[in-house]
Amino acid sequence: MQWFNLFNANIRKEYIELKRYLPNTLAMLFTFYFVFLGMFFGIQVIGDPSVQDINTQYAIVNYVFWFLTIMVIQDIGWQVINEGMRDTLEQLSMSPMGIWKIMTTRLLATTLLNFIIVVFLLFLSMLTTGQWLNIDVGTLLPILLLTLISMFGIGFIIAGISIVLKQVQAFLQILQFILAGLTFVPLTVAPFLAFFPFVKGVDLVRSVMIDGVTLSQIQATDWAILSVNAVVYFVLGLFIFLYCERFAMKRGLLAHY
Amino acid sequence: MESIIEVRNIKKTYKKRKSKEIITAVNDISFTVNKGEILGLLGPNGAGKTTTIKLICGLLIPDSGFIKVNGIDTQEKRLHALRHISAVLEGNRNLYWRLTVRENLEYFAGNRGKSRKEVALEIDDLLEKFRLKEKEKELVNRLSRGMQQKLAIAVAMLADSEVILLDEPTLGLDVETGYEVREMLQDIVKNYNRTIIISSHDMDVIQNLCERTVIINHGEIVTNDKVDNLLRLFDVRAYTITLDGFLSEHQQQLLLQKFPQLEYIPDTIQSTLKVDLTKSEEIYDLFDVLKLEHTPVESIDKKTVNFEEVFMKIVKGEKQYAMV
Ligand SMILES: Nc1ncnc2c1ncn2[C@@H]1O[C@H](COP(=O)(O)OP(=O)(O)O)[C@@H](O)[C@H]1O
Ligand SMILES: [Mg+2]
Repeated sequence: MQWFNLFNANIRKEYIELKRYLPNTLAMLFTFYFVFLGMFFGIQVIGDPSVQDINTQYAIVNYVFWFLTIMVIQDIGWQVINEGMRDTLEQLSMSPMGIWKIMTTRLLATTLLNFIIVVFLLFLSMLTTGQWLNIDVGTLLPILLLTLISMFGIGFIIAGISIVLKQVQAFLQILQFILAGLTFVPLTVAPFLAFFPFVKGVDLVRSVMIDGVTLSQIQATDWAILSVNAVVYFVLGLFIFLYCERFAMKRGLLAHY
Repeated sequence: MESIIEVRNIKKTYKKRKSKEIITAVNDISFTVNKGEILGLLGPNGAGKTTTIKLICGLLIPDSGFIKVNGIDTQEKRLHALRHISAVLEGNRNLYWRLTVRENLEYFAGNRGKSRKEVALEIDDLLEKFRLKEKEKELVNRLSRGMQQKLAIAVAMLADSEVILLDEPTLGLDVETGYEVREMLQDIVKNYNRTIIISSHDMDVIQNLCERTVIINHGEIVTNDKVDNLLRLFDVRAYTITLDGFLSEHQQQLLLQKFPQLEYIPDTIQSTLKVDLTKSEEIYDLFDVLKLEHTPVESIDKKTVNFEEVFMKIVKGEKQYAMV
């Protein structure tokens, strides 16, 4: 019940802020869409016509997934930075629920809200290009769920680093490109990347959405890799976050001093 | 009386980021706070008040020593201890500026695991009481600094914790708002059964609100006593003696030997002697010196000291006064 109330309060806060600062949200959507249009026309103009369709499909999946990745992985990092700058981080740290629980519910809340945005963007992209991908919800959902959990773990690591180091804005900017690299590179090029937090996930998403792979066709080893990644990264992330929080309390880093 | 907060031999050092210099913010301090008591934590800037408050709220981990709240060790069972504590920290950033007054109250209650329904009535009550009702739908960034502070205190009240910590609650407020916040705190003290620690460098705040004060300076406790006792202590021993005429060189020398802190203000009409006595009997020694030259005494006043002067003396290290 306490968890539920905590979740409720945080999703409400995220939603209110998203709505109240609608221009920000809209600007973000427009930026996304225009960059996508640029990419789409690039493929039309300079790409090889024989693989145009498949290239467009890759572009859609990769780009949409990249957007989701950035949103989820950087979310609590930014939350921590913003709360730190506004000095509300200390009030959060004083909750008897523990700051990691608050951050987890916020992460769930923003993921949920961003997910709606991502689905909207996905359909918008498909509509623009006329390339209709295979949206097999029953197959995509479990893949996404496991992938998101591993992303949460990375999110916690970044949030922990942000608490301790504070000035990580530049790092977060660079991180977006690293994430782009990881999303856009096919697994066949570098198989070991499967053990990176979300590369396996996006690879499977591609095979479902583009090649029409179904739930029963996905290998047990693939599920195993996804699950292991989810557990390992989440636990590791939480561990590092809690360690950083303790370190910050020892050094007096929670406040902006 | 039963104590609810126990601070034992707490030490806290900071390492400066750039210079790596080590600063001892709080050095081996111990005190307890009783249930229902209002304790003032008084000290000049940089004395270690904020650090002490944050150590009690579990926002800082001490280098050594321990703190117990309701018998719960804040390090061993941090989250458990936090259930009994809420705090308004220094500055004006205890709130979300992009949320409204009511949304802030609801959000922070949610962060303590309570539903909006559960706290709805209580929120109405608090808004009414703190005269924030008309502002409940106002965004916090549109509120005056005083209103924000009142809301922050309301948020702390809503937590339903036995202990409330307030770090410099009137800092940065204009005189009028400061007075209003003080009235509000007085109301809380009277009508709600909470244990409160108020830190301030403003003696007026402490004198008005607190029964007892712990005075700290350079991270150490200088005194820990009832506010009344401190005032009485100084009241009794601070004398101003008005003389009709001057003191001779010889008299001055003798007096300064005996009372190094004596202040002599010669004047053609009336000279004054200001002296703080460690023991009341010392006044006889003073009169002996005056008698040597039959210096006429116009009047003797027991100086009425205010808390500020007491505070300044204690902070300046005139420890002997406080250590009786
Ligand atoms: N996070 C911090 N890092 C480094 N030094 C600090 C930090 N917080 C406080 N200090 C130093 O510790 C001392 C005590 O500070 P503080 O507890 O804020 O005092 P007060 O609240 O009484 O003004 C000061 O010298 C201050 O400069
Ligand atoms: Mg302070």
